[in-house]
Amino acid sequence: MKKFILAAGLTALLSTTAMAQQIGVSVARFDDNGLTVMRNGMTDHAATLPGVELQMEDATDDVAKQLDQINNFIASGVDAIIVNAVDTNATEAMSQAAASAGVPLVYVNRQPVNMDTLPEGQAFVASNEIESGTLAAFRMCQDLRAQGKSGGARAYMLMGQLSNQAAVQRSKDFEDVIGMDMCNFITLIDKQTAEWSRDKAQDLMTNWISSGEPFDAVFGNNDEMAIGAIQAMKAAGISMDDVVVGGVDATADALVSMKAGDMDVTVFQDLAGQGAGSINTALKLAKGETVDKQVFIPFKLVTPETLDAFMQ
Amino acid sequence: MSDTSHGTGGLSYDKTKRQWPNELNVFGALILIIVIFEILGAIFMGQSLLFDSKDRFDSIFNEQRLRIIIIQVAIVGIIALGVTQVIITAGIDLSSGSVLGATAMIAMSFAQISIVNGDPNPKAIFGPAFLDLPVIVPILVGLGCGIIAGIVNGMLVAYSRIPPFIATLGMMLFARGIAQWWSSGKPVSFPTESYAMIGRGMMPVIIFLSLAVLFHLIMNYTVYGKHTYAIGSNEAAARMSGINVPRHLVLVYAIAGMLAGLSAVILTSKNLTAQSGMGLSYELDAIAMAVIGGVSLFGGRGSIIGTVIGAVIIGVITSGFTFLRLGAYYQEMVLGGIIVGAVALDQWQQKRVASKA
Repeated sequence: MKKFILAAGLTALLSTTAMAQQIGVSVARFDDNGLTVMRNGMTDHAATLPGVELQMEDATDDVAKQLDQINNFIASGVDAIIVNAVDTNATEAMSQAAASAGVPLVYVNRQPVNMDTLPEGQAFVASNEIESGTLAAFRMCQDLRAQGKSGGARAYMLMGQLSNQAAVQRSKDFEDVIGMDMCNFITLIDKQTAEWSRDKAQDLMTNWISSGEPFDAVFGNNDEMAIGAIQAMKAAGISMDDVVVGGVDATADALVSMKAGDMDVTVFQDLAGQGAGSINTALKLAKGETVDKQVFIPFKLVTPETLDAFMQ
Repeated sequence: MSDTSHGTGGLSYDKTKRQWPNELNVFGALILIIVIFEILGAIFMGQSLLFDSKDRFDSIFNEQRLRIIIIQVAIVGIIALGVTQVIITAGIDLSSGSVLGATAMIAMSFAQISIVNGDPNPKAIFGPAFLDLPVIVPILVGLGCGIIAGIVNGMLVAYSRIPPFIATLGMMLFARGIAQWWSSGKPVSFPTESYAMIGRGMMPVIIFLSLAVLFHLIMNYTVYGKHTYAIGSNEAAARMSGINVPRHLVLVYAIAGMLAGLSAVILTSKNLTAQSGMGLSYELDAIAMAVIGGVSLFGGRGSIIGTVIGAVIIGVITSGFTFLRLGAYYQEMVLGGIIVGAVALDQWQQKRVASKA
């Protein structure tokens, strides 16, 4: 009898283990703010899914350690693996390890270098960087129209580090938007780099103001630079009602600035959504369903009307 | 002290060997650069860099541009005042940018306000007991952090005989680590109104120029200044003539650290935020200002006035580039060329003067 109960218990235990979905997650680093939001998004989402268990590991920014973690996941027989790559150039080995073991693999947030050659059963979940600059720029264009400036508006652009992909992309997005028929009333007076920094942006904006050119809009590749520009304009006595200022990131400082009526547009990268999306994708792959190689989690536009939803 | 002694370690110089003070050369370079920008501006932009070509101001100058030229270099300029003294002792300080970063985070944490736009401060680092503190607290914390970092630098250089380059390189990495660790990379924002006054408007410039005058006097008319030049000119001779060289070096590095700490306070006040990446490569900008201003990296030669003019040159170039709407990619290339060119010209000038003797 004892044996029977034990056996039954074991069977039950085994069957529940078999029923549950084990997902191994390797995150580049636990102490990064953005990645922490993403990680919490995963944990929160997994808690709502019965039978889904996460095993979360910190790769502490160590490429070799991350590969070890993935091999350990494979050895312990997880149903799927989610990787937030430490080094996006080192993903080839991870893809191979998972593919040869037949374990589905999902990259999240950071695009793997082998994106175009991802094996079956692997996917990439992130936000489409093209969206962020485009959303902000288009909204700025609409705001300018609403202010009755569709006869002609002039804009400055503050760019991030020129070696940075996001800076190049967001700058291009802005220029693409003001090249569209609907928005080509906007002319770009000048674009310069302020290296993502509020201080450099403040000085650059003051330099622009000192040339005496009239302008109607300022687009910063990130919120910090947009805030720097706002501080410079305020110091020069320019009313923030007359200038449309846009940024990207929806930082706490930017939201406060928007609430004060200074910043007009910013864009929120839904990192928690990326975390949840990576789990959904991993579960689909584990069930053998086909998913798109790239799963995009949309950016969210933040304006004074939608602001409250983003302030904690 | 005779009026012929400045710049050469307390020794009076032979008038036949040098026709005019080195600072005049640097000032000449400044004028030359301004003239070049004015000519290019007239040709390509149809505007003037420094003068009011659009009738926007009461005076003949474009006041806004004159102000931003100095504002944008004032904070690094304050660092450069300390770096100048360090370089005159034949040392170097690579840590000032990082010390600024660490001090910014720490000092700002004591300057936060409790209520932002009617909501509690979303960035509060400490509990409510540390919010809305009187402005003197973050200022003293900032100066203190800088002084401590400077003393450590100075002790390493003076007593353990680690080369200044290595000692301050270590501090550069260490302090940047502190800056990032302090709030795990999160920015610290929303200071009290009184703290925000420190860096508002022309305040950074007023502080920079007052300190420049102060240190110019100190370097030329006090024992401290004489000893600083003496150590840089010939450390062995300075030691044998009874100067307590290690103690003096600690003092020089401590002052440089204090000025970096002060810059952190002004910078965070000007920007109303502290970020762990603040001050990145400021040490190199400060060294560039000193070097353009005629301070010799071999020690013993250079002056505060030279560094101030060097700072203004960088300010004119920065504003000039924006004024000409020079593409962002080209700005750094041209700036690099100008820095090397300035020093090459200075070296050539020195050689010519020396060979005349």
